[in-house]
Order: sequence, then structure tokens, then C-alpha cells
Amino acid sequence: MSGRRAGAISLRILQQFRHDRRTLMLLFGAPIILLGLFYFLTGGGSSLPAVDVVNLDRGSLGAVLAADLGQSTEIDVARTTEARAASDLSADAVAAYVVLPADLSARAQSGDVIAPAVHLEGTQPALTQPVLLALDQSVTRASRNLAAAEGVRVPVLEPSLDYLHGGPGLDTLDYFGGAFIGLVVFLLVFVVTIIAFLRERSQGTLERLMASPLRRADIVVGYIGGFMVVATVQAVEVVVFTLYALHVHNQGDVALIVLLTLLLTLVAVNLGIFLSMFATTEFQAVQFIPLAIVPQVLLSGIVFPVATEPGWLQVVSRLLPLTYGVDGLRDVMLKGNGLTSGPLLLDIAVVLAFAVALIAAATATLRRSAS
Amino acid sequence: MSAPSVAVSVEGLTKTFGSIRALDGVSLTVGTGEIYGLLGPNGAGKTTLIRSLVGLITADTGTVTVLGRRLPDRAVLAEVGYMPQSPALYADLTVEENVNFFAAVHDLDRPSAARSTADALELVDLSPRRRSVVATLSGGMRQRVSLACALVHRPRLLLLDEPTVGVDPQLRAELWRQFTTMSGEGTTIIVSSHVMDEAERCGRLGLVRFGRMLAEGTSAELRRLAGVERLEDAFLVLSESRS
Repeated sequence: MSGRRAGAISLRILQQFRHDRRTLMLLFGAPIILLGLFYFLTGGGSSLPAVDVVNLDRGSLGAVLAADLGQSTEIDVARTTEARAASDLSADAVAAYVVLPADLSARAQSGDVIAPAVHLEGTQPALTQPVLLALDQSVTRASRNLAAAEGVRVPVLEPSLDYLHGGPGLDTLDYFGGAFIGLVVFLLVFVVTIIAFLRERSQGTLERLMASPLRRADIVVGYIGGFMVVATVQAVEVVVFTLYALHVHNQGDVALIVLLTLLLTLVAVNLGIFLSMFATTEFQAVQFIPLAIVPQVLLSGIVFPVATEPGWLQVVSRLLPLTYGVDGLRDVMLKGNGLTSGPLLLDIAVVLAFAVALIAAATATLRRSAS
Repeated sequence: MSAPSVAVSVEGLTKTFGSIRALDGVSLTVGTGEIYGLLGPNGAGKTTLIRSLVGLITADTGTVTVLGRRLPDRAVLAEVGYMPQSPALYADLTVEENVNFFAAVHDLDRPSAARSTADALELVDLSPRRRSVVATLSGGMRQRVSLACALVHRPRLLLLDEPTVGVDPQLRAELWRQFTTMSGEGTTIIVSSHVMDEAERCGRLGLVRFGRMLAEGTSAELRRLAGVERLEDAFLVLSESRS
């Protein structure tokens, strides 16, 4: 080993970094952005799951309990009627609603088990846990407060759980299966397209195509055609494997899952062509993966529900195509929604709109002449 | 509209990249069937000039008319063949697949694309290697594939940016015989080079330096103008005296 030779290599690497500002920004900027995202997603300043509370208790415990739930740091509580709460739940406006039964105080006083009914939306485990935790904490606090005054003992809490979708029969894989179908396909197609298109630029063949009678739209449509053939095979493979080999729970139409997956691929192809414009080497293209993909993975509601993000991050989430793709896949697979469902149609329409916008953007970036 | 006997007409072309003036008021007229050589050192503006003839560069000022059509004009590109300086090919495709692709891109239907591909590969002497993947070929062979891609659709105007770099002398002589034949059949060829024996084979030459056309004429005319025997010396003398 020679110190001088090894030193020459180290120096050369530092020189290369100096010339590659983008990589430096990635190395020093991306960790701050990504860790910041984690902070906001895992609680720092995030929004709480919305929960309706319906108090039917004839005694005093229900009112105290409902008031305590209103102070909860786990959930964001509104008090309402049972009918209103049920419609909120089916409209996805709340993560759950809790009904405090008429005999709540009576049972608590006689030392019985109390059983508030917790109606859960059920498709997002991350929204279920805070509800049960908040209820448990509030029952303890409320009954302690009443203990001295009214002789209420701390009762045993056994909430009766009721799931609108999914339920205790589903495991983690079932909850995340749909979202991961979308993610895997989106990610792979994006990476393959951005590299393929960048090669077209860097090896000079794109310039050759620009010197031919081809229109820009011919090139973009040609790329879409070629990639969609492969992507269709991939989508079918991924869906079949997920449903029939991994036995991920599916309540909806398999054709709709494939349709949503293909729409996401269409978005990914055009995102790849569009972003290849901003990279000059394959190395730089690979750098788009953490920058363009990781925030999408964190913000599209796959693991962290969009509803519990801080308000400004929810706005960002709403600007990402993957959010709608994931939501649509969950609608189909966990809720069994079909083409008559408004929310699902909206998801499909938004993903399609993203695809169209990106096709236009990809076409626009293919300038015939150098400026 | 230019008269049909004029294939290419360039007037007062200027192009600046940042602080570098790549073209500085270049004018040029090339007749149909001519072989016109652009001579000049690296960075003289030859490539920029050729690229502006296929609309890859939009000039700051000046006009370009190709085959009677004022650029930008996408349709006329179907009759133009362009061979870039570096062999821009799909390295993961075979020789035949590459040439066939560029035939199809220039609107040839499938049977005529196949026929023209076979002819073009014959011309560049690569028929035996037609099923080889381009990545496995030598630099000179890639150059020849690239040439085949540029002329597979039998363009009326062929633009060649240093076409014979890395090609051995024997094949170079053979290619130039083909260029001469094609020009005899009415194909206009504009070729950039800094190899002097190639320049001798051009009907007319243009000396380009600092983005300007320093002198134009046949090899004999340029040598007489400079008062020297050899074209290479003429090139040096004219470069010095006029820049």
C-alpha cells in the first residue's frame, strides 16, 4: 500500500464532489428533509385521528368520560348523535366512533365490566390503536375522578369492537398488501424508465431521433407503448402473486386492481421521462430515487395515514399521484368498492389526470433544438 | 424557395453558447449532387453548422434552407440523413436492429426497411456482422453502423460529421467511392473532416475557423489562393492570414 497513491484517490473523490453540487445537496440536504418528514409523520405536530363520541349514559360517568376524551392527546373528539356518527364513519370523515351505553354509570357503580361500543373504520391499523388507547386512559382518569365523590370504582374496560371494513381477521400483510402492489410497480417502472430514457439522451440517440421526422409526441407515445406492454405483464404477475400466492385479503374486483396498477405505471413512465430531463448521468438519475420516491412512500398514506399528518403535509400528500393510487387500491381490496363508488372513481380520475399532465410535461421537455 | 439545383442554403448564421460564439455569420450554398467538405480544427464550428442543418440548433440570427424548405421544418427531415460525430447507437441492439429502427423512424414500411437495411449493411461491409450486438463491436465498426443508420432511407441530403474516424484506410477508400457514386446519383453530401486526403475528394471545400467561413473553393482553387502545393499548407496559410 502506498499512502501517496491512496491519497491521490481520496483527493480525486473530493474533487469530484466539489464539481457535483447536486450530489452534495443530496448528501447534506436529503437527511434533514427525510428525518424532518419522519418527525412530522410520527407525532411531532401531527394531526390526531378524528373520532365521534355518542353519550347515551343515563348516569354521570358518560359525560365525564366524554369530556375527558375531549382532552385526549391521542384523538380529536367531537360529540354527536349515533346516526350522525355512523354516517361520518362511512364517509371516512372519522377513524372511529365510540358509543357510551345507557347503563355505563350503573355498571361502573356495581363493579361490572363496562363495554362501550367502538365502531372502527378498520382499513388503517395506525388509526385504530390511538382510539383504544385514548379510551382506556380516559376511563381510568374519569372513574378515578368520580371515585371519591360517587363511590365509582375503576371499572374493567372491555370495549366491544365493530369494524366497518376489514376487522380482526386481517393481518398486517392484508392492510399493506394493496398499497405495496401500487408502490412496487410504481417504483420499479419509474427507475427503469428514467434510466432507459437517460441512456437515450446520453448515448446521443435522442438527438438522432430529433434529427428525424419524428414528432415529440411520437417518442413519448412510443415509450408509453413499449413500457406498458412490459408493465401489463408485471402488473398481472404482481397482482396474481399477491392474491393467490401470498393470499392477501381482497374484497373487490381483481380487474380494478390491475387497472389501478396500470394507471400508476402510466404515471411512473411519464414521470421517468420528465425527470430524466433534469439528470445528465445515470448516477444523477439514481439520485432521484431517494429524492422523488422516498417522500412519496412516506407521504402517500402507505404506513402513515394521510389524515394524521400535519395540515401542511396533507397538502403535499394530496399533490402526489401515489396517494390516490394507494387509496384506490385500499378501496378495492379492503372495502370491496367497485366502479359505483364515488371515492374510488375520484381516485381513478385523479391518477388518470396525473398521467395526462405528466404525458404533456414529458412531451414538453423533449425540445427539438438546443437553446 | 430556392431553385431546385440548390440543396442547402445558409445565410448569415450566428449562434452563441454562453460567451462562446460558435457560429459568426456563416453563409453557405451547396448545389444538388455536390460533395461539400467542411474543413477546420476542433471547435471551429463545423459540428454546430451541421447540427443547425438538421434543426438541432436554432440559430440566433440567419436562415437555413434545406431542399427548398426553410427550417424549422420537420417534414423535410425525412429526406435528410444525419450521422453525428460519436456513433449514437443502441448498444444493446444488434447491428441489423439498429439500422432497421432508423429506417422505420424515417417512414420506411416494413418490407422496404428490411431491404434498405440489407443494402446499407452491404455498403458499409457489415453484412456478416448484422446479428452482432453493437456493444461487442470495435469503434470503427460502430462508426460504420452509424453511417448505415444515416443513409438507410436513401436521403437526398446526407450530413456526415467526421464519418471516417477510426475507419481503416482500405474501408475509408471504399466508403468514399460510395459517396462519389451517391453524389453522381444526385445525393448531396456535406461532410466535415480534418483529414486532408479526404478533403481532396470533395468537390468543394469550406474552411471554417472561429465560427467563420474563411475561404471556399475546390482544392486546386484553395491551393492557388494560398500559393502553396499541398492542401494542408493551404489550410494553415489561409487560417493564419484570414483570422
